[in-house]
Amino acid sequence: MIRLESITKSFLVGKESIDILNNISLIIEEGEFVAIMGPSGSGKSTLMNIIGCLDKPTSGQYFLGGEDVSNYNDKELARVRNQSIGFVFQQFHLLPRLTAMKNVELPMIYAGISKSERQSRAEDALRKMGLEDRMDHLPNALSGGQKQRVAIARSIVNRPKLILADEPTGALDTKTSMAIMEQFRELNQEGVTVVVVTHEPEVAEYANRTILVRDGMIQVSAAAERGQRT
Amino acid sequence: MSFMENMLMALSSLKAHKLRSILTMLGIIIGVGAVIIVVAIGQGGEAMLKSQITGPGNTIEMFYQPSDEEIRANPNIFQQAPFKQEDIRALEQLPEVKQVVASSTTLSAVRYQQDTADVSSTGINQAYLKLNQLKVEKGRNLSTADFLGGRRVALISNKLQEELFKGKNPIGKIITLANQPIEVIGVLEKPTGLLAFGSMEVYLPFQTWKIIYGSSDFTQVTIQADSAEQLQTAGKKAAKLLNRMHNTEKSYQVINMEEIAQGVGQVTQIMTLIIGSIAGISLFVGGIGVMNIMLVSVTERTREIGIRMALGATRGQVLTQFLIESMTLTLIGGILGIFLGWGTSEIVSFFAGWPSLVSWQVVLGGVLFSMVIGVVFGILPANKASKLDPIESLRYE
Repeated sequence: MIRLESITKSFLVGKESIDILNNISLIIEEGEFVAIMGPSGSGKSTLMNIIGCLDKPTSGQYFLGGEDVSNYNDKELARVRNQSIGFVFQQFHLLPRLTAMKNVELPMIYAGISKSERQSRAEDALRKMGLEDRMDHLPNALSGGQKQRVAIARSIVNRPKLILADEPTGALDTKTSMAIMEQFRELNQEGVTVVVVTHEPEVAEYANRTILVRDGMIQVSAAAERGQRT
Repeated sequence: MSFMENMLMALSSLKAHKLRSILTMLGIIIGVGAVIIVVAIGQGGEAMLKSQITGPGNTIEMFYQPSDEEIRANPNIFQQAPFKQEDIRALEQLPEVKQVVASSTTLSAVRYQQDTADVSSTGINQAYLKLNQLKVEKGRNLSTADFLGGRRVALISNKLQEELFKGKNPIGKIITLANQPIEVIGVLEKPTGLLAFGSMEVYLPFQTWKIIYGSSDFTQVTIQADSAEQLQTAGKKAAKLLNRMHNTEKSYQVINMEEIAQGVGQVTQIMTLIIGSIAGISLFVGGIGVMNIMLVSVTERTREIGIRMALGATRGQVLTQFLIESMTLTLIGGILGIFLGWGTSEIVSFFAGWPSLVSWQVVLGGVLFSMVIGVVFGILPANKASKLDPIESLRYE
């Protein structure tokens, strides 16, 4: 599903070039549930951005579902984000002036799906998240857990193969966090590849495998970790 | 993403900041309104001037411009009235001519008891009365019997009543014109309008005038056609007929109104253009206001832009979204401006007695132009929005 080959990302700070990601190679198979962990400043956010096609690597190759997306232009990357990836963020990132329903419709608008189709799919997704009575609520009228459920509904409406969650429980209490993680587990069991970036071990528990990033490099070998867990 | 969807999205964004949107629109409303007012009043004025040249009821005046030979042959030619009674009868036979309005004016002294005054004394035919709609304020108007019988009756102007009768009722009084007694039967209404001023006038049936002054010729002839389209033909035919009857080449002429109307049109158009472009400056300032607010809006909505991009909006779609938003803003402003301009020019024309014309071309032009302003002044903010980095934008607080 995801194959990174010698991915490097460097930023220019003044005249100096600083490597945020240093020669990362990584394979995530279809249907996996992977947690990416690491201290702040380790480069896990940058790795997440590259996997999410929000950022381009300085060098190296990135294959997403067989497509080499490393040299895609902005427009092609936008299409990949729209069609192949569902995003869930720590701050939910719902548009405050749109109802839950309209927020969920948003990715389908950019996919060019007809209005009636959008509405039925958005309804299905919200119902699946247990929000059938919250469809016409604005984000402000929803609790944190409900907001994140709306965000998850939004991430799945275009039926992507991959869901990328960046600290999805960072703004939620423990009980709600666990419920949200259950939601991800369910989606994973339906065959969706889930990648969660987190610094909470409890959250990482839900994954089949944990990738540890430190100083721009992957520390624990994926295979070893998987062996530990099973 | 369809245009309608963009439009609805733009409307909901504008609705989220109602006061701000209205204030921004105000610049466009005033700008478009000002242009509409100027153009409406300009075009109305042009139409009014043109109609005044053409004269009421599709009329055209004939005039006599003797050639050099005629002047040499008869040095007093300018003292003579150029139109004979048979000319009038011949003109009346032309198929295009509805009626011929003929009158003869001479300066004359008028006396009432001990007072005298100089007046312009005009003998008129019945057609003149109908066409010029001489309105009688006191007494009665000239009747068919007065015209046919050549009765010694006259209408006097309001000014003459003041001068000669000094507030006394003139109806039924006898005045003396060229030593002949005439009965006053009516006083005309005061002329109204911006440029109207009263003058000392007496109107008599032409038959009466002929006897008093001993002349059966007319100084002024105006022909009336059935329609405005026939007017030029009627005028040309009439001139040709009179030239033939008088054995002259082209001494009898009609005014070519088309040329004059064109000249007047050009003048008013230039005036409208000058004032209109001054009004256009306010539209330009309004456009800058739109640009300003859109830039603020883009900055405020950085996170929204980041979210949209993460969900798959291309840079082009973000650009389009903001362009349509600024265009919606100016379009609504433009439409409101058209109503403002329309209403104001109606009010202005009501009080100034000056017609105003809001043509569909102006309305359409106003709508299109305000959309263009939205696009032109929206480009910079929309471009800024589309160039945002999605990662940075998502982090924006």
